[in-house]
Amino acid sequence: MKNRVKHCGLEHRHPFLNAAGSAQLRAEIDAIIDRQIEQWYDTVPYAAHLEGKSVDSEYYRRHLIETAWRIRLLRVSESKALAEIAKRSPEAAQIWANYEREEMLHDELFIQDLERAGVTREQFLATEPYLSTKLLTGFFSYLLDHEGPLGVVAYSYLVEYVNVKLEPRKIEALKESVGETNIAGQISHSHTDINDDHPGEVWQAIRFLLRSDEDVQSLKRYLDEHQTILALYFKELYEDKILPLEKKAA
Amino acid sequence: MTTTLVKVSISPQNIDVDLPVNSGLTELEFELYNQEAIPFGCRSGACGACLIEVVSGGVDALTPKGDAESTFLSVLGYEGESYRLACQCRVLDTVTIRPISQRG
Repeated sequence: MKNRVKHCGLEHRHPFLNAAGSAQLRAEIDAIIDRQIEQWYDTVPYAAHLEGKSVDSEYYRRHLIETAWRIRLLRVSESKALAEIAKRSPEAAQIWANYEREEMLHDELFIQDLERAGVTREQFLATEPYLSTKLLTGFFSYLLDHEGPLGVVAYSYLVEYVNVKLEPRKIEALKESVGETNIAGQISHSHTDINDDHPGEVWQAIRFLLRSDEDVQSLKRYLDEHQTILALYFKELYEDKILPLEKKAA
Repeated sequence: MTTTLVKVSISPQNIDVDLPVNSGLTELEFELYNQEAIPFGCRSGACGACLIEVVSGGVDALTPKGDAESTFLSVLGYEGESYRLACQCRVLDTVTIRPISQRG
């Protein structure tokens, strides 16, 4: 009688990409993200605001609120992703579980900085997330139900790569504009991403999830789609906190 | 983009594998698929299945040993500098390693 067991992650033990192939694809993906970053600065309103000499306090507070919410909401779907990943690759699942362990409570770091910025935990909890944040969460659910976990993991690679590349510059600017002691949580968050090589960690999970050239093409599309949704958030933030001020001043 | 490769040799089988610099030694499991050169287990430094000895290339050919790895190796009775848990190592330079389980 045929063994009916499926989805145990043992069918494709040998990765689609060997170590050298994985390194080459990662370099290609990094170059794609570098181009996305340039496009981001060119097209997203106020994209570099937090890297500037002065920071609008309402914009800053709301950005921290939304960042904490994003972590709180996405960790639920990212936890669901673990089961889907384990069905495909136990190696990727082990890496993803470790990554999630390290990131799981990072919303607290942003909530601590919120308190330093004058927003209490109660005020944070009373603030409903933006629609763009809810849509990102919904996109993750859609991906897990209908396309698989690669798109969810791709989001983390995009975010981790961008964080490691750009966050130190932003942190240095915020030390001047907001004050070093007021951004201790964000500094700790950045330390984890950089010192623990989170981009490298997430890339290894991606590498084990890739099974074909078609998956590689999907990965590239996911990076583009995630950037589109994240841009919606920054547009929403700008329209909520900056545009009214600009209209008033005009 | 050029990937810098370094040679990892496995003794006594005389198997050579070229890996991108900074690759984890767990890559050997996939590069040597079905050859079982090193028996990886937990891949998190907790089980000791992938115990190896660095035969040549020196300790600097691999990323440094962490506290947790050192402690566990002591528990296993392998305190010398040359003993490592392969799953905790990234390769930095040409190195020859020997799985302890291969010792005759």
